[in-house]
Amino acid sequence: MSEPYRYFLIFLGAVLVYNIILIRFIALCPLIGVSTKVETSIGMAMSVLFVMTMATTVSWIAWNYILEPLGVGEFLYIPAFILIIAALVQFVEMVIKKVSTPLYRAMGIYLPLITTNCAVLAAATEAVKPGFLKLNVPYHFGLLEAIIYTVGVALGFGIIIIMFACIRERLETSPVPHSFRGAPIAFMTATLLSLAFMGFANLLGL
Amino acid sequence: MEAEVTYWQEFKKGIIAQNPLLVLMVGLCSALAVSNRFENGIFMGVAASFVLVFSNIIISSIRKWIPGQIRIPIFIVVIASFVTIVDLVMKAYFPPVYERLGVWIPLIVVNCMILARAEGFASKKTVVRSALDGLGIGLGYTLVLLVMGFIREVLGTGKLVVFEKTVFSLGFFNPPLIFIMFPGAFLTFGVIMAVLNRYEAGKKK
Repeated sequence: MSEPYRYFLIFLGAVLVYNIILIRFIALCPLIGVSTKVETSIGMAMSVLFVMTMATTVSWIAWNYILEPLGVGEFLYIPAFILIIAALVQFVEMVIKKVSTPLYRAMGIYLPLITTNCAVLAAATEAVKPGFLKLNVPYHFGLLEAIIYTVGVALGFGIIIIMFACIRERLETSPVPHSFRGAPIAFMTATLLSLAFMGFANLLGL
Repeated sequence: MEAEVTYWQEFKKGIIAQNPLLVLMVGLCSALAVSNRFENGIFMGVAASFVLVFSNIIISSIRKWIPGQIRIPIFIVVIASFVTIVDLVMKAYFPPVYERLGVWIPLIVVNCMILARAEGFASKKTVVRSALDGLGIGLGYTLVLLVMGFIREVLGTGKLVVFEKTVFSLGFFNPPLIFIMFPGAFLTFGVIMAVLNRYEAGKKK
């Protein structure tokens, strides 16, 4: 398997085959909570892509140069990664506020929410710490691979959350049985989407 | 108002009235992901309840010394310590379960359920109340997990296996595998919520 092809498979696997929301159920809270309007979903998707990529990069550096050489990775990876994410989110928020007002208006309100978005911690943990990733491709935990995987995960998140918001905007005006209004019908929608995404299983041997 | 809430009510509210999954809608991700087997529900429920009770106790006992601006990082560190304990214990004593639950154990740390209780309850109330609240919420979470795990495993595989023993087996039908796969989780949870809505609506009338 050539290197670019392997990277492509890692990316494709992260976006479609092992889609973070529909196939692995990570980050359901933003799916149900935030994705009621297309606009907010786009903002959320962009912020997640940005924070997730940075979080994985910093976590990778911390794991490979600090935690692993000191032999404390096994005990400290959870607090270390979550603190990296929390600090990073805070930092990004400050930088964006200072640098660009339009960008802050677009992304600002989502940033605090991202700290407790399990997708960010999940992507960072899987991409950096051996033992969690379930991907049918050889993966060597290099920095480039970790970033490719994370960008894939974030795009998979973005696609679904935007798609879901489009469907929910239509659902607002549809006649839904009374007991199914609100969250239950959102779960039914997710069922059908998830069913569709199962069709990607075994794509290119993934 | 505050004094009228008895300890029993503090404990009880987590199970139905403020059920974390069905009513507050927090901590959904882990519940849907691990409920494909009844047994997973037991382990995940115990793990999350353990973290919930102990992080509630610690946070509530240090609540007077936590500065407001940095409370979230402090909560997260407390929670992360207990998650690490669970992570290492499970890895050491239940390797097959750990393998199955995988990334969900470290993810307990960002489970909104636990942070929400720390922020909304433990940082304001006394230690005993916080412990009872944690216990109640944990039990509510576990119960939903068990119900979902039961429905999905029985419908999806036609039998119930707990700790490698078959409890019972329905031999007469061809089980639709979809229930233990991904869409089944959304479907089961949506239907449970709808039934509960229906029940609530019926009660109001």
